[in-house]
Amino acid sequence: MPIHDLGYRNWQEERTARFVRPWVIARTGVSLIWRRRWLRNVLMLAWLPIVVPALGIFAFEYSSTDPELQQFIAQIVRKPLAQPELASQIVNDPEAARHQLWSTLILAFFRYPQLFAMVVLIGLIAPKLISYDLRTKAYLMYFSRPLSPFQYILGKSAVIWFFLAMIVTVPAMLVYLLGVLLSPDLSVVMQTWDIPLRILAASAVLMIPTTALAVAYSSLSSESRYATFAWFATWAMGFVAYQVLTSTTAVVASGGDQGGHRGGRGNWEDLDIDFDRWRLLSPYHTLGKVQSWVFGLDTSSSTVVPAVLVLVTISVLSYWIIRKRIIARLSI
Amino acid sequence: MGSSDAIIEIESVSKRYGAIDALRDVSLQIPPGVTGLLGPNGSGKSTLIKALLGLLHVQSGQGRVLDYDWPRDARMIRDHVGYLPEDDCYVAGMAGIESVALMARLSGLSGREGLRRSHEMMDYCGFGEERYRDVESYSTGMRQKLKFSQALVHDPSLLILDEPTTGLDPDQRIAMLRRIRNLATEHGKSVILSTHILPDVRSVCDHVVILVDGTVRVVDTLDNLSRPIEPTILVSIVGDATLFAEQLTRAGYTVNPDPETNGLRVEGIQAHQADQLWRLAAETNTSIRRLEPALNSLDQIFMDVASGKSMAKSDITPNAISRGAGHANS
Repeated sequence: MPIHDLGYRNWQEERTARFVRPWVIARTGVSLIWRRRWLRNVLMLAWLPIVVPALGIFAFEYSSTDPELQQFIAQIVRKPLAQPELASQIVNDPEAARHQLWSTLILAFFRYPQLFAMVVLIGLIAPKLISYDLRTKAYLMYFSRPLSPFQYILGKSAVIWFFLAMIVTVPAMLVYLLGVLLSPDLSVVMQTWDIPLRILAASAVLMIPTTALAVAYSSLSSESRYATFAWFATWAMGFVAYQVLTSTTAVVASGGDQGGHRGGRGNWEDLDIDFDRWRLLSPYHTLGKVQSWVFGLDTSSSTVVPAVLVLVTISVLSYWIIRKRIIARLSI
Repeated sequence: MGSSDAIIEIESVSKRYGAIDALRDVSLQIPPGVTGLLGPNGSGKSTLIKALLGLLHVQSGQGRVLDYDWPRDARMIRDHVGYLPEDDCYVAGMAGIESVALMARLSGLSGREGLRRSHEMMDYCGFGEERYRDVESYSTGMRQKLKFSQALVHDPSLLILDEPTTGLDPDQRIAMLRRIRNLATEHGKSVILSTHILPDVRSVCDHVVILVDGTVRVVDTLDNLSRPIEPTILVSIVGDATLFAEQLTRAGYTVNPDPETNGLRVEGIQAHQADQLWRLAAETNTSIRRLEPALNSLDQIFMDVASGKSMAKSDITPNAISRGAGHANS
């Protein structure tokens, strides 16, 4: 037997289980994307908005020793956040207001800065995930291994889930942890134990349909720029369509009296304007509806079921499209 | 060939793309060793390979690949098969060594072991420091070697190589063929070599399968295919061959001129009967320069089979035709 042999040697050792192999795709995808310096910068920027809910929770917990600060917080909650009942509760019974205030701050973090960051981040990384594999025919390499199309899709989707978790779930959990650490005693955990679960559920609501849609766009063409365009167009057009249609309805219902607009959305709702009618056109507003419901803060009168159905349909349909595209490519 | 020896045994496989029959009721047994899969463009070679790997759905057919039911256990089969696709394919943005290590991990090797084995395979395939370069900067030949490393990294018992020597320079081509032969003879690997390059088949294959229009036309050993129906000896002589040819004819042999060697093809004589040729040459005062058993040209066999002349040509082993036609049911 040679001491050193650069020739071929047989290999018979224990192999890892098949079900963990999609995570090899995910890990490789994450590692490839992590090499992009600009992406690391985007991730850093996406963490900046965490300061707002963190300061909010810090101020709320600190206000138990400072009545003036308590009044100031109540004013902010009453006007900019348009929640007068919560504002009164903060003043009268801060302990009881804690759960709702924390949830409101975390939901706001989900709904505004992080949803925008999610759209940008997915728009930058998702279009290349499958379209590059189609262009370079890397799918032949992947499927020469014992992978099913489902495992391949799962592995590719997990790349996006990882980055979304980095900018949404992890910071939201940290905000919650910060709140617990700043609270007077650990009994606050008993009051708010469900918030981490709600964060996880809201993250799933955010990640699953959006990732499925983005990966489906990526699978439709070997040119990633088309997928990028389709992704941003979906969000922009949906948002604009919703705003235009609801505004038009409101103006018509108020008889052209623009004064109603000054009073904000609440005044238009007094006119019995159904804001849910056009919501399903906009992914942004559909996601917002379901996330509000997940946090128990959905104040609109309509049921959440249509919005959930839309998100489920997008997820299932996208998975079906991706699978069909991959199988079609393999059949050539 | 006993069916229990076969590494691949499939029956009645049909694959249609719309109105086009890519595979028509193909039945096939492939023994261990190196098997050349030949056929003109569009004959169904790549379809057959992808079907064997379970990458595409067939309308009918069943069988066995290695020790696994086919097509039911396609993923188990892929775990024990190394596949080198014909297409230029790579995972963008990775270095060569990372690409091989990725395939190792997808085949179930742990991270450290996968990396170690990847280096070993790249060494075996002749990679140097270029293994650390991005695969997008590789030449076609380097990408072929990379795909070969990836196909080998999990130590499969069966290798399916689709045009493995395409894009390689002559030295690399010879080295690749040596590796294939070495894997088969020294390491017990079975290899299916799909190629258009017939000298490659001649140099490494033990068996040949020829597909035409989605049907198997020929399945046989290369030795059988190379052997003429009538034992024949090629004789090159010095000077005029007329008297010698007449003497051979009188002795009962069929003699034809051989245009390639400018000699004679003496049919109906075995190699061990060559002393008769020496005796007849001595009687006619003829000097023999060279004597060799005649072999069929694989190129000619391929072209005849591809053009549909196979059944009529006498210089292809009838055994091969009948077996192939029988398996193909065509």
